[in-house]
Amino acid sequence: MGTVKLGENMVIKEEVIKKACSMAMDAHKSPEKQYLSKKIKTSSSEVVFSFPGSWSVNDWFTGTSFGETKVDLQLFPSLKYIGLDVTATVNEAFLNEFKALLANPLFKNEVGKAAADRRQIVFTGHSSGGAIAILATIWFLEVHIRQSSNRIAPLCLTFGSPLVGDSIINLALRRENWSSYFVNFVMRCDILPQISLSPLSSIKQQLQQVLDYFNQKAQQPPNEAPAFYETVVKNASSVANYAACKIMGSTNPLLETISSFIELSPYRPLGTCVFCTGNGKLVVSNNPDAVLQVLYHASQLSTEEANTKMTVAQTSLRDHLSYGNDLQEYLRMSVVTCLHQHHPEALPLSLNVANAERERVDEALNDLGLSERARLCIHAAEALEKQRLRNQATIDEKQKDIKKCLDKLEAYKRKCALKVGYYDAFKRSEEKEDFHANVERYELAGIWDEIIEMLKRNELPGEFEGRKEWIDLGTRYRRIVEPLDIANYYRHLMNENTGPYMEKGRPRRYRCTQRWREHAERLPHEVPGSCFWAEVEELCIKTGFQGIKESISHLNTKVKTWIKDEELGDDVLLENSTFMKLQKQHS
Amino acid sequence: MNMFMQISTLVKTSKSVIFTGHSIGGTTASLAALWLLSYLQSNFENLSVLCITYGSPLLGNETLSRAILRERWGGKFCHVVSKYDLMPRILFAPLDTIGPHIKLLLKFWHLYMTSPHCGPLDVQRNEEFMAEIFQFVLSHLRGLVEAGEEAVTGMFRPFGNYLFCSGDGAICVDNAAAVIKMMYLLLKTGSPSCSIEDHLKYGDYVGRISSQFLEKKSFMLGELPESRYEAGVALALQSLGISSQEPVAGPAGDCLQAARRMGRTPNLNCANLAIKLSKINPYRAEIEWYKAWCDRSDDQMGYYDSFKQRGASKRVSKVNMNRHKLARFWDNVINLFESNQLPHDFQRHRKWVYASHFYKLLVEPLDIAEYYRAGMHRSKGNYINHGRERRYQIFDRWWKGRNVRDEDNRRSTFASLTQDTCFWAKVEEARGLLDDVRSTRDQRHSALLWEKIDFFARHAKKLVEAKEVSIDVVAKNSSYSLWLIDYNEMKLQMLQFRPQFPSFMNGEIVP
Repeated sequence: MGTVKLGENMVIKEEVIKKACSMAMDAHKSPEKQYLSKKIKTSSSEVVFSFPGSWSVNDWFTGTSFGETKVDLQLFPSLKYIGLDVTATVNEAFLNEFKALLANPLFKNEVGKAAADRRQIVFTGHSSGGAIAILATIWFLEVHIRQSSNRIAPLCLTFGSPLVGDSIINLALRRENWSSYFVNFVMRCDILPQISLSPLSSIKQQLQQVLDYFNQKAQQPPNEAPAFYETVVKNASSVANYAACKIMGSTNPLLETISSFIELSPYRPLGTCVFCTGNGKLVVSNNPDAVLQVLYHASQLSTEEANTKMTVAQTSLRDHLSYGNDLQEYLRMSVVTCLHQHHPEALPLSLNVANAERERVDEALNDLGLSERARLCIHAAEALEKQRLRNQATIDEKQKDIKKCLDKLEAYKRKCALKVGYYDAFKRSEEKEDFHANVERYELAGIWDEIIEMLKRNELPGEFEGRKEWIDLGTRYRRIVEPLDIANYYRHLMNENTGPYMEKGRPRRYRCTQRWREHAERLPHEVPGSCFWAEVEELCIKTGFQGIKESISHLNTKVKTWIKDEELGDDVLLENSTFMKLQKQHS
Repeated sequence: MNMFMQISTLVKTSKSVIFTGHSIGGTTASLAALWLLSYLQSNFENLSVLCITYGSPLLGNETLSRAILRERWGGKFCHVVSKYDLMPRILFAPLDTIGPHIKLLLKFWHLYMTSPHCGPLDVQRNEEFMAEIFQFVLSHLRGLVEAGEEAVTGMFRPFGNYLFCSGDGAICVDNAAAVIKMMYLLLKTGSPSCSIEDHLKYGDYVGRISSQFLEKKSFMLGELPESRYEAGVALALQSLGISSQEPVAGPAGDCLQAARRMGRTPNLNCANLAIKLSKINPYRAEIEWYKAWCDRSDDQMGYYDSFKQRGASKRVSKVNMNRHKLARFWDNVINLFESNQLPHDFQRHRKWVYASHFYKLLVEPLDIAEYYRAGMHRSKGNYINHGRERRYQIFDRWWKGRNVRDEDNRRSTFASLTQDTCFWAKVEEARGLLDDVRSTRDQRHSALLWEKIDFFARHAKKLVEAKEVSIDVVAKNSSYSLWLIDYNEMKLQMLQFRPQFPSFMNGEIVP
């Protein structure tokens, strides 16, 4: 039985791809059904779910310029940049379509049963059906994989799918280790995957004609095909060129100015992308930055092609319909080039040095129509990913320093527990040790702020936020050091400058590490024990307010759980601590 | 005035403004953009501004160019210059010698633009004159390029970004020296007639460049260098229509490589600074610790006066050393910031705005103490106008520029640091004023002095009442407390002896 090797750890059975592709095309034929499902063979363990595409513009774009909306975190709790609390963006029309599918109890039951029977589920779709398949797969991962460990991982195969969401979705998939389940096939000339990079206003009219053609209402591609092609590629070039400048680290301030004048599409590729060159070769990349560059550059025209724009534009539409027929041929030949496995140095710019392997890669890239400029962009995308790994290694090194500081502060905490508790001791800061503790606090803040900055600038690999060692270290850090930050805040009366700690003063390094833990352990988002002292301080200020006694006793019950969960040390209950004084005052 | 009105309504109603102009109109566009940017800056308003000029002549000298860099406005200007256009280059030649030529040129361009058909005829008639001016500008440009950096003083100098365009594409250069060199190298490959016609071809160029996204350009086999960096440079030259075989390719490539911004990228610099900040924070902590000790100590002089009248102790010399180290760190930050080596919105990063602000609150009182301790006010003048380090003024601007409205929070106890960082300098000056009053006999002069003194007294009273000052201000033996006693005494005396004194009306005694 044939398999297709799409990279080091990715091997897919040929028959799965074939079956998925044919079912994806079949789904269009019965648009009244929300999905089709079938086993690959009666005996096999895989079940394929395929979704039909839609041929109405309203099912592709809604209201705003790119038809984007924030993802529904109830439905997709993982689709966010956790530490920075940024929710992912998706195409609203596709999201609505998926929600309608989910409202169908038959679908949920059937998927649930297949999962319970420990079958591998393959979600698939062609065109906008692919977008639904992607959302369905993410939903399945959230519901069935994240919450129970004994399920078989799904697979998502799309064919000529438009882009579904922004770069945060891809980050989230990588963090959860789900990224490799998504494989998107794209024909070299197929223009559809790029249309998400255009604002609706620029293509609306032509798009409906194009969709009508796909829906077989017209025999020939519409006459506007060349104009449509040009508009779509132009918009793609804006996005890709801007991204390339960023990737290459261009520091020209003009870029920033321009970005406030032109709104660019938020959509980015996700998972693995498999490009079909047009003559039997497959080129694979799992780097979304590189995929974006290939999408655009593969649509550029050589001098000969420029003279036959009509033909090119028609092919760009016809290719969208050719997956069913052509893909088999590609699978049979199985000539695969993986962009991400190559050292950028091995990715040839030109053929100055003779080398059989490089010749083969070069040929595949030529067949995809990638110019030297395109190759430089892909190089840069690969180099950036490597830089992210190096950055991660650098901060991994700092774990030692963090631990050393934390050990010192724990010793400080133990020592203070003999008298009044480290919160109050630090707040008074009368001894030399308090000063030293402050220095440790500063040092740690420096390291953590640096990590946060790197996250903000997207300089760490997507997997970083899912790493247990960092989540645990972050939790330990937050529990020990945040009380000191609170003590410092109220010692310097910053609450009177800026407002209460919880609302105005809480540093991002604590909010971020708290969210990491909450996401990893699937806890609700609430005020953590490390902020206990801020609550105490606010209650001290509110002395005499109505209901203060209730607030104190409420806090008291919380304290007990926090101490039990090790969120808080029992030194808060020392006789002379601010908390005990507060209690006495109101008892 | 009319334009001013129009713009100020624009600022309120729109999100972005683009200025544009061709030829001399380009300089007007630049000036308008500069005016709007200055207006926005002094009013703390936010609006995206972009200025695109086509074939604009040079506008200002090196001082203007530097000022624009310092204000970080370079990214707001994009000067489109075609490969051979003479107009953007013409002012590199001294004006007194080419004056008559320019007049003729302008007449020709004007004629051509209004009635393009009779243009070529004119060209032929003036061929000799064309060659003359072309050679003239070219030789001056060569002189400038060969002289290097020294020659620029007093001359016109480019600013902002230059987008050089040819029929094959465009490249963007923002380093002034590189812009001049590219201007020279490109003009060298041209001819007198094309250098004059090019000024009128911007429509074609822009049209061609904006349809380039569809074109896949390829190189002849083996023409592209193996190194990725050099390949990038070769691609850039290709965009200018210069193939690697041409003699000009070598120097042009060198020029582009040199224009690459030296050092690390802004983001890396910023990350590095963050690490350095966390390293110097302990110095700050030590000063804080010192302040707490001063404010608690028995002599009740407070932070400012303890430092000003410090003796030779190990602790205080350590604090003084820390003060220097912190100053060096922050001066370096400003240096990087002003030479465009930090992210463009660095001054809006919360972290840096707050860090610089707290540094200022903590350390500026020490700087003032040192200034008056060393008697610098006698030789240089008062601190606020003559002794205040520039960094503090910049930090003031950053702090005001943050998009937070100051909420009206009432303080229950004294602030941990005095919010008016120049407070102590004002105390010192007020003390000087009291001395002056004692020694002056001139009534009118004395009244003037009293006016100033009362002004400060009211200001200080307000701060103290709002608890905007740190506890060291009201320490029993602080300069301010001593001054206040002095002030009240003198005021009392004055009121007794001269009840007719005008300030009696609103004269009050500060408790």
